[in-house]
Amino acid sequence: MLILTRKVNEEIKIGSDISFKIISISENQVKIGVSAPMGVQILRAELYEKVKETTVDAIQSSKEVVELPKLKVNKVRK
Amino acid sequence: MKINTHHFGEIEFTEENVLKFENGLLGFEALKQYLLLKTDNELFYWLNSIDEPDISLPVIGVRLIDENYPEEQENEAFGIVNLNKDPLKITVNMKAPVYINQDKKTGFQKILDNDRFFIDYKLFVE
Repeated sequence: MLILTRKVNEEIKIGSDISFKIISISENQVKIGVSAPMGVQILRAELYEKVKETTVDAIQSSKEVVELPKLKVNKVRK
Repeated sequence: MKINTHHFGEIEFTEENVLKFENGLLGFEALKQYLLLKTDNELFYWLNSIDEPDISLPVIGVRLIDENYPEEQENEAFGIVNLNKDPLKITVNMKAPVYINQDKKTGFQKILDNDRFFIDYKLFVE
């Protein structure tokens, strides 16, 4: 892993079209601005991991034999 | 072409039936080809990997749940369903929908990173 030291307002570029800017630093938090082309999904890593886990669970439970009684779909209210 | 699936046994398909996911699903980037199979159960479809036929995901059209769900042009949004023996515990991933274009035979998954959509939305109410 490449490790770089940056100050507030300084940037890091990855390739020609992705950049990270250090917006602010506090005791245990860093605010980072990310610029990337449309279509590049920028995600907090833990959210990506959570989605992956949920899909793994869905694959595992997909072999369950489920009887669907007459239940109502839980609709989102407008 | 043929694959062996858990729910439907051996299935024969042609290139025209194949949905291409250029980036795979999140966490499954290497699996890029799927079939969308309909069951006699009217609620779910099955998104079955061609590369790994054992991987099969039940999905549901999210419009059935939320009429105002975010659209993507020409694509239909599906939520991955987490089945359970107790139907009241069946959940849908509304946070990371799978968008499918059935005409162009393409698909992709995306995360809706806000508080409105739940990763474990309960599908049924009594």
